[in-house]
Amino acid sequence: MLTDRFGSLRQRARTSAARLTLWAFFLSLALGSPFPATSCAEPGEPLHTGIVPTMGLNEVTEGTFMFRTDQAGRYTPAPILKTDVHIAVTGTIARATVRQEFTNPSRKKGNWLEGVYVFPLPETAAVDHLRMKIGERIIEGRIKERAEAKTVYDQAKREGKRTGLVEQERPNLFTTSIANIGPGEHVTIELEYQDTVRYEHDQFQLRFPMAVGPRYIPGAPVIVEGQGPRGSGTSPDTDRVPDASRITPPIQSPEDGAINPLSLSLSLNPGVPLAKVESPFHPIISIQDQDGGYQISLRKDAVPADRDFLLIWHPAPRTEPMATVFTEQKDGATYAMLMLVPPTQHNEKAPRIPRDLTFIIDRSGSMAGASIEQAKGSLASALSRLTTQDRFNIIQFNHTVRSLFPIPQPVTTTAMQQAIRYTEQLTADGGTEILPALRQALKSPQDSARLQQIILITDGQVGNEEELFELLHQRVGSRRLFTIGIGSTPNSHLMRKAAESGRGTFTYIGNVNEVKEKLDGLFKKLEHPVLNNITIDAAGWSGLEQFPTTITDLYEGEPILLALKADSLPSQSVLHGQIGTTPWSLPVSFNGATAHGGLSVYWARQKISALMDETYKGGAQEAIRKAVLDVALAHHLISRYTSLVAVDVTPARPADSPAAERDHTTDPARAQDLTALANLPRTATDGQVHILMGAAALLLSCLLWQFRRAVV
Amino acid sequence: MIRSRPGSRLLTILVAGLLAIGGWQVWEGSWIYAKAGLAQFLLQRAWSLALAGEAMPKPWPWADTWPVARLRMQHRSVDLIVLAGASGRTLAFGPGHVTSSALPGQEGTMVLTGHRDTHFRFLRDVHPNDQLDLTASDGTTLHYRIIEQRVMDSRRESISTGQGPQELVLVTCFPFDAIQAGGPLRYVVRAERALDHDHS
Repeated sequence: MLTDRFGSLRQRARTSAARLTLWAFFLSLALGSPFPATSCAEPGEPLHTGIVPTMGLNEVTEGTFMFRTDQAGRYTPAPILKTDVHIAVTGTIARATVRQEFTNPSRKKGNWLEGVYVFPLPETAAVDHLRMKIGERIIEGRIKERAEAKTVYDQAKREGKRTGLVEQERPNLFTTSIANIGPGEHVTIELEYQDTVRYEHDQFQLRFPMAVGPRYIPGAPVIVEGQGPRGSGTSPDTDRVPDASRITPPIQSPEDGAINPLSLSLSLNPGVPLAKVESPFHPIISIQDQDGGYQISLRKDAVPADRDFLLIWHPAPRTEPMATVFTEQKDGATYAMLMLVPPTQHNEKAPRIPRDLTFIIDRSGSMAGASIEQAKGSLASALSRLTTQDRFNIIQFNHTVRSLFPIPQPVTTTAMQQAIRYTEQLTADGGTEILPALRQALKSPQDSARLQQIILITDGQVGNEEELFELLHQRVGSRRLFTIGIGSTPNSHLMRKAAESGRGTFTYIGNVNEVKEKLDGLFKKLEHPVLNNITIDAAGWSGLEQFPTTITDLYEGEPILLALKADSLPSQSVLHGQIGTTPWSLPVSFNGATAHGGLSVYWARQKISALMDETYKGGAQEAIRKAVLDVALAHHLISRYTSLVAVDVTPARPADSPAAERDHTTDPARAQDLTALANLPRTATDGQVHILMGAAALLLSCLLWQFRRAVV
Repeated sequence: MIRSRPGSRLLTILVAGLLAIGGWQVWEGSWIYAKAGLAQFLLQRAWSLALAGEAMPKPWPWADTWPVARLRMQHRSVDLIVLAGASGRTLAFGPGHVTSSALPGQEGTMVLTGHRDTHFRFLRDVHPNDQLDLTASDGTTLHYRIIEQRVMDSRRESISTGQGPQELVLVTCFPFDAIQAGGPLRYVVRAERALDHDHS
């Protein structure tokens, strides 16, 4: 194949016609106007069929109701009439109720539409309740096994009933398909989801997506024609009727004075005394309760800015860790959440524990580029912050393992210089074999007087799971293992589980450009352990189920959450732990704890996630499925095996009037075209460019040679 | 006059330099194609190991990928070993299976990507209703029928890999003849699973 190419090139170069062509090409390169075919950079016109603005599910920045178009994966947003949001925060649990009203703007008789409701959820959130309101009727969603839910939805749709099907295809995108919405009809969707509040830089942060997209204003070109049955052909002008405002009374155009279609209220039970509550982008009214809670609402004149709502609350300064308990009674059981919050101020008097830091860094070929460069950068800055009490080691692996030192060495100038050189020389190449590297790290002797932290950075698939867990189980001992997964391939469940068995944390970095930032944050956090070996005194508890089963260490900047379920709770319990090597304990009262919602859901989600992890350890699939189903059905949760489906019992569409979805296939899941694959890989090589450049250079050299002969 | 003028010496150096650059560029370019072609032969061995039941057989010791399927098209000389993962390094050797998408035989959409100028060049000539055969690592062969071809803009759209019927989606860069790599357009061929009523 190679010689072929060379041969043909030589031949072509001999003929003068070919020479001229190549000359022209070379000239065009030299003049900086590459070949006409570089149009890969700009999208072609054919992508836009139609006049109506369409969007993909990925572009949704707030709750949006959309109708399908004849382009797969493209939608037109429906007019939104109103959004009401209420969020209740308990400790670090946020429970949000979102109510949104939409309309089918079509005036055309018989234009029954199927739409998709999309809500961009925070990564950690999940929807558990769905209500649809059409006219005066309320239809409550029910959790069913996934296959059953789909059957119910399909059947109802065929029968012309209004239905809603909720599935969680991706963790951060919630979608509902709704069939059979009549012309001009209003649909209200009410959903509840639960999320975890972020705690960062000693402050709690809650975010709600409400960046304002182009809202519906009557008189704007109407949307429906883009996706009507093929050949319906009415131009949008006809639909842009002068009486458009009549069909959408709740909306006023902006000139009529500001009317805010969005209302937002919050009740905040922080569980810790607060110094300040603030909303940086939207003016709020905040009223404090007697029991330390806050009632917060958007000021009346608050117009949603072009960004998400963000609420930040700062705990009052403390130098000691603090434990807070929330409880909830539900179905005869008691659920509790114990939140252990680190001090906001670094306690200078606290003894500093010497650390043994072992970095295991993946230098396989796939780490090439930003991943390895950024990891090297944060490794260097972590090394520079070590103190003389500490010891460290660096292990690098691809399909072979190399280690800077056999076991961790004290920080000295020589060792440091060696380490810096060693880090700089890291290059990415080869395959990924994690086990031998981990085995090497676990060879160093254990020392309970020191904090032995192992940090594993990889972007590869972890194979041989059983061996990995066996190794950890036998050898990890008092060491702490922190795993970091980069990119799209890491087996997150396995790495999280590995970190858990090593009483550390798992950090996932999806975007390779964030590697440095995330690693720096983690390395800094690991420098300040507050409490280790934490246990809870379980005497006097009956039927206790606790997640996570082993409690991780408490570090500055990250609270620990414990989800508990028991038949009955004692009035008091004790938390034990160690500050460095000094024993520490803290009595926790369950008596004064006030009841809050959402704790049982939080507990159930922890339990499901623990059960799902079993599947990765090779547990019996059927038994796990059954156990997950039990929890998910009892607590009304969407999971891998359950969906939420809401069906109205009365037929709304006359049987002879076809649904607009007719154009598409009958399977809603298929047409749904859910967008799970962003960032498509690059699928072209530079081969052609290289060969053309090379040929041009060769040709030029031939010509110059002839020129030289002529001159000499 | 035998003495060469300084100008001609400069020309000699220039010619030598251009020869070197030209040779190097042609080599670089040809190497990409050579690698794409040769790797497929090496992969055959790993594929037969996979068929024999070995999990994740590595085609060469330092590889961080392994064969997951074999893609064939009758009536055309298309016979490709599909590798796990769709990173740039994998795609140099063969089409890559996007890890987050379904595996052969699983519910949902399976996404394969390949270079438009090497392995997936054949996609420019396929038609609706053409048949694609995909052999999974357990030896079963699934048949797919092409139902859709389209160009999408990877900045705005993406591909579904959710639950649903078994589908095969082949993705490559578009346009096929663009000189520069790295544009946002992708050529997407969607095929649905054909019922296995036939003989194989």
